[in-house]
Amino acid sequence: MKRNKPLALVAGAALLTLAACGGGSSDDGGNGGEGTEREFGEQGGGTKDAERQGPAPEIEGASTGGTITVYLPGDPGPDTLDPTGGWSVTGNSIQQALTSRSLTQYARDENGQPVLVPDLATDLGTPNEDYTEWTFTIRDDATWEDGKPVTAEEVAFGICRSLDSEAFPSGPGTEYSKHYFAGAEEYEGPYTGKDPNCEKWDGVTVDGQDITIKMSTPFPDMDYWGAFMAMGPAPLGNASKPPNYGQKPLANGPYKIESYKPNEELVLVKNDQWSADSDPARHQYADGFVFKFNQDQAKVDEIMLSDNSDSQTAVATSLGSGNYNDANSQLGERLVQQTSQCVSTLTPDYEKIDDINVRKALAYAYPYEDAWIAGGEVPGVTRIPANSVMPPGMAGKRDFQVDGEQITYDPEKAKELLTEAGYGDKPYPITMVYYEVDPLAVDVQDQVTKGFEAAGFSVKAIPVQESPYNVFFDPDSKVNKQLNLRLVNWCSDWPSGSTMIPALLKTGAVYNTAGFSEPEIDEEMDAISTLPLEEQPDAWGALDEKIMTEYFPIIPTAFRNDLFVFGSKIGNPTGDGSIGAPNYKDLYVMQ
Amino acid sequence: MSAQTAGPETLGSLSTEPDPQDPTSQQAKEIAGKSPMRIALGRLARDKIAVVCALVVLFFIICAVFAGPISSLFGVSLDTPLASERVDGLNNGLPKPEMGPPNGPFTWEHPMGVAPRTGQDNLAYWLHGCRVSLLIATVAAVFASVVGVVVGLLSGFLGGAVDKVLSFFIDMFLTIPFLLAALTLAPILNERFNTSDNYGTIQKISLICVLALFGWMGTARLIRGEVLSLREREFVQAARVMGMPTRRILFKELLPNLAAPIIISISLMLPAFVALEAGLAFLGIGVTDGVSWGQMILDAASPVYFRDYPQYLWQPMVGVVALVLSLNLLGDAIRDALDPKTRR
Repeated sequence: MKRNKPLALVAGAALLTLAACGGGSSDDGGNGGEGTEREFGEQGGGTKDAERQGPAPEIEGASTGGTITVYLPGDPGPDTLDPTGGWSVTGNSIQQALTSRSLTQYARDENGQPVLVPDLATDLGTPNEDYTEWTFTIRDDATWEDGKPVTAEEVAFGICRSLDSEAFPSGPGTEYSKHYFAGAEEYEGPYTGKDPNCEKWDGVTVDGQDITIKMSTPFPDMDYWGAFMAMGPAPLGNASKPPNYGQKPLANGPYKIESYKPNEELVLVKNDQWSADSDPARHQYADGFVFKFNQDQAKVDEIMLSDNSDSQTAVATSLGSGNYNDANSQLGERLVQQTSQCVSTLTPDYEKIDDINVRKALAYAYPYEDAWIAGGEVPGVTRIPANSVMPPGMAGKRDFQVDGEQITYDPEKAKELLTEAGYGDKPYPITMVYYEVDPLAVDVQDQVTKGFEAAGFSVKAIPVQESPYNVFFDPDSKVNKQLNLRLVNWCSDWPSGSTMIPALLKTGAVYNTAGFSEPEIDEEMDAISTLPLEEQPDAWGALDEKIMTEYFPIIPTAFRNDLFVFGSKIGNPTGDGSIGAPNYKDLYVMQ
Repeated sequence: MSAQTAGPETLGSLSTEPDPQDPTSQQAKEIAGKSPMRIALGRLARDKIAVVCALVVLFFIICAVFAGPISSLFGVSLDTPLASERVDGLNNGLPKPEMGPPNGPFTWEHPMGVAPRTGQDNLAYWLHGCRVSLLIATVAAVFASVVGVVVGLLSGFLGGAVDKVLSFFIDMFLTIPFLLAALTLAPILNERFNTSDNYGTIQKISLICVLALFGWMGTARLIRGEVLSLREREFVQAARVMGMPTRRILFKELLPNLAAPIIISISLMLPAFVALEAGLAFLGIGVTDGVSWGQMILDAASPVYFRDYPQYLWQPMVGVVALVLSLNLLGDAIRDALDPKTRR
């Protein structure tokens, strides 16, 4: 799942939680700056609770009424509200929490950990022995906003829609449904394949309230995939035809869409047909939500810090770093820090920079803290040092260091490594791109260039005016052909190494911008997905360590954290541990 | 054979009547024998505002021309330092106390302080920003004036089809929305030249081209109007009758009489281009490497920096405002000095 913020340039997936396996490995999470010490909304040991039933437990002291305004600075919001097409942190966090239900969902437990609980299904699904067939029983008391019940056929149809990768080119189904579901490769989808009722695909079968999904390869994470709104119902036939349906999809959660102006505003109002008894994790405290996209960060910061009547019932999804100190001292627990299960990486081209010592030299030459400061981040708060690809707290994550201790900026060490690799006599050329439109990105590039040049590299930085990802993914781009150093920011889709490591390091993966390719590693990745479920987290952790110590193909520069600001009358200010967003499900307005 | 340049025509008046002479014959005698330029310069020298503005402009020109030497005199440079050496990432990215204001005392190491977040030296950036501003504005103003003068001369003097065609082009360029065109051109130029080693220079040249391309029409119209009235005057008729080639009439007869409007249009174009350059840099088109007053303002325009470190925004602001204001006032003063009808 990608980050919408063009400036943040996070790619990848919906930072869902980390699967089980206790918190022991928490990578010293990062302590706030001076001043008030802050606790991170850390995600550890994601758990499952298949038994949880509606209604969701009441939040202590919660009251009903009031409208919550959410400011999303610098975030254009989702392009479409179609549940099948949604694969962005912003869109999914809003819709999955408030309007669009799916097979499973996350609830926040008392420790702030996300727990996978049932949603439209009555439990978390029943797999067969080798995870090639999953059966979900759809509850019979869920309703659409027009009062009609949500049927198993509609859920099956929604699942079928996710196979249409032409109608939903940037939907998550292109990655998961297409890859795992039986017969999905050949089936073009209900719209592209001119099959409006999804009769030609037999991967999903409906029997009463039960739907059964057949897999082509074992898919033990189907219950996590079920938490995506793409795995939810859609009205049959033409009623849900894209792209019109994306403008105002039929809601089945506690809120329905009143109006939607792309890139501007999304207004949600109470859905009176939603019944709390049918939903194990959602609440309906506020009368409505107003999401304001593309806000100016500085303006929002001023509003939130002023504590005027407008801001008391408002939430901001980010905070300008310049205001961090003020906010930290003024807001107390209304400033929430949440790990976002994202890693920023530098990806040296595996073919052009084929010497591990040069890649390590790059790691020592990157001025981590300087780049964070120049980019407007707060070192140790919104960015913490990274040691490997898997984010802290993820199940199986190992607390190791490639060279025994955390790699920091050390130009002398980088020079030694370069000399060792045989490039000591003249600067090693590096070609990279930067996003010229953003002055922060220019300043970061200045720092990186400075750091690299001090460490014996020569840097050619090419300014681009489109997202660097567009450059990396364009095989014909003459700029891309020159590059030997790229970058990727990636977030996990659910708490498993399987949404991090293969996406970044498997041969031919889209976001494998390093072009890393080792048959041995590819085989191991395939082998892990056939292991027993409980052995997988450790296997991913071991593979993570093996890749980093033996190949060091990409340079993790930071784990990322989000800052949320809550108005003084917003009750239960918390972050959603399953996705980098405020915990919309449990918010209320104090009366 | 050329006509005398001295005469009522050179004063830029549209009137065919003799200039109103001060009845005091004493004064009339003093004026007699001076060239119109000297008269104008004399008036200018007596105008206090003009003198002050000229000095301010001179100061900026010195800053721009000697940006490098002045920087090294103070021991500062454009080099990027490591951010963590100069600014405190945990304190909103503001400069460390030993770097001078706002958290420490003034230091000669960085007379104007360092920038929050990056730690770049403000004085060096200010001086080089001044150079970029003046360089781009001057070159663009010269280009725009040359094009405008040539088009205006040809269009006004030749008339007929040539006039129609050239006037059409003038109108066409006037209809193109400048900002929109500049915004569109930026990514195209980037796409074409971003792998070049001279990207920064190309960026500045293209900015000059854009400014000149959209800045010549006013001058062209002004000159065309002047020429239309001048070409029916006796000295031009006489030159024609004597069989002078058109080129010679244009450049030897008409052009000297157009000195006043040309000087005025350049002097008013300069401040406009300085402001435009800063404005475009602020919008992130034009100069993007940070060495520009507009980009400095963009970096500094944040409520937090303005509250804790106001001089960071004031420095480039004062630069732009003082330069534009003094250029404008100087332009006005020159216009007044060249216009014989002005009485002050």
